[in-house]
Amino acid sequence: MTLRTYVIRRLILIIPTFFLISVVIFTLIHLAPGDPAQAIVGGRPVSREILHQIRLEYGLYDPVPVQYVRWVSKLLRGDFGFSFISQRPVLSMIGERIPRTLELMLAAEFVSILIAVSLGVIAAVKHYSLIDAVSSLGALIGYSTPNFWIALVAIMVFSVELGWLPVSGTQTLGTSFASPLDAIVDHLKHLILPTSILVLGWTAYLFRMVRSSMLEVLGQDYITTARAKGLKERVVIYKHALRNALLPVVTYVGYSIGFLLGGAAVIENVFAWPGLGQFMVTIAEKRDYPTLMGLGMIIAIMVLIANLCSDIAYAVVDPRIRYE
Amino acid sequence: MSNPLSAKSEDKDKIYKPSRATRLFLVWKKLRRSTLAVAGFGIVLVVAIAALLAPVIAPYDIDWTGSSRRPPSMEHWFGTDARGRDMFSLILYGARISLYVGIAAVSLELVIGLAIGMISGYFGGVVDEVLMRITDVILTLPELPLLIVAVAMFAVRSIHVIILVMGVVGWPFMARVVRSEFLSLKESTYVEAAKSMGASSWRIIFRHIMPNILSTIIVIGTMDIPWYIFYEATLTFLGFGDPSSPSWGVLLEKGYLYLGSQWWMITFPGLALLFTSLGFNLFGDGLRDALDVTMRR
Repeated sequence: MTLRTYVIRRLILIIPTFFLISVVIFTLIHLAPGDPAQAIVGGRPVSREILHQIRLEYGLYDPVPVQYVRWVSKLLRGDFGFSFISQRPVLSMIGERIPRTLELMLAAEFVSILIAVSLGVIAAVKHYSLIDAVSSLGALIGYSTPNFWIALVAIMVFSVELGWLPVSGTQTLGTSFASPLDAIVDHLKHLILPTSILVLGWTAYLFRMVRSSMLEVLGQDYITTARAKGLKERVVIYKHALRNALLPVVTYVGYSIGFLLGGAAVIENVFAWPGLGQFMVTIAEKRDYPTLMGLGMIIAIMVLIANLCSDIAYAVVDPRIRYE
Repeated sequence: MSNPLSAKSEDKDKIYKPSRATRLFLVWKKLRRSTLAVAGFGIVLVVAIAALLAPVIAPYDIDWTGSSRRPPSMEHWFGTDARGRDMFSLILYGARISLYVGIAAVSLELVIGLAIGMISGYFGGVVDEVLMRITDVILTLPELPLLIVAVAMFAVRSIHVIILVMGVVGWPFMARVVRSEFLSLKESTYVEAAKSMGASSWRIIFRHIMPNILSTIIVIGTMDIPWYIFYEATLTFLGFGDPSSPSWGVLLEKGYLYLGSQWWMITFPGLALLFTSLGFNLFGDGLRDALDVTMRR
């Protein structure tokens, strides 16, 4: 199979997945106990006529499959509906928050890959050495640490005690910056803590992957052959081993979108970071159904795109995968 | 049993198959080789004892209140909380909730994951196709956001809602692994032999295949427990838990308010979480190596 047919096949496969996801999200929200009409009025006591009016307006009297078809056909036209609570278009509310979360996620992804790959390779090459033991144990602890707790501890230490970094938000409020550069520096300072917390968890995870994958590759015959040929150890590790060891890691980077989004949901709440995660918790608490469904679809699309990219990247770097 | 052939094969079984106790001992011997795994087992044991004996060990009753927000001292090892309760005692009781949540959610995951993986892997065909598409979709969606939305849909805030939702959301990976084990095992010679002797599907599944995937299931279950404990604490911290229970997540949520001044209120519940999950992770890693289980996502 050529790369092109592979990509096309992969793209076509996205369509049924998209529909299944929409069914799952729709069902999840509609299984919810409680009356959506009540949710729209925010649980305030209102007359039966008003509730009736709302149900008519939102088509809540229609059978559920009819509601689903209406919702999906609107989705396909890019119409995500309006929030029950704020009456604003769902898509624009999500759009405002996506850049904030992406910023956090990309920063965390970049730093994590950098640390995890370099440490993972060193740990694997120097198997059973002190650096291997220390970094493996560190990864295990990082892996076992609740991210929201370590965020609280970080605030306690770096913001409250030492006063080095700001506690929350994306920008210091109520200050006017002398130059745009000062504003950027201020923003970066706000970015440090939330990013570091995300990095901690993801690096620990990725490190274990890189290390075990590298160990597996280093034990293979062709590495022994390369060494027997008299190649320099550096060439063996970087040209022969690392290239193959990083293959499975490519898949994990795609998977990371889900992991980091979950992390962001928590971290953003601790640091009052106005991104998708904070938004999700707020609207989930208010049970703003149209917004929740829209957000669910957007997140699913983000994950689908990430998976697609990592699958294609995998097919590019490892031609064998296309023949499976 | 009158069949001489079957009697013979049973004799063989008796000769070659070590008893259950011996097999457990062999696993333990392998496990013992790794210091980290033993440490993990020790931690899990400590947490289990703390949970079981909380009323005996705890220096103060759970409803006992003294002066509030006292720093750690000889009387109150971990200080007191905003309502004047002894943090050390609260954390001991919290271990009960965390362990309960972890084990209950894993059990639920097991039941659903096993059932679906079994049906899919053993019977195959259209059923398999449909079940696996659903499994993949749930696997695609990020776990924590899915949990947040699902838990928020319930009007009641209770630990049982969280367990239910976690079990219902958490099964796909288990189902996938069980399915792939069934797929390979059902082609094995001994299953073929059992079939040729007229064993029913039911018998083959439970008497012949199940015992062979037990170790895989045990390893996944052990490694999933800390995740469920985490998720419960996270959901509770985000405000979707039962605020009246002394779960570690609730303690952290309340301690959050005193972040600037009373460090012990968030430090100790978090350390308890870290300690517990470290124990399960170490133990799970050790078990995986001892039972020689390989898992691929």
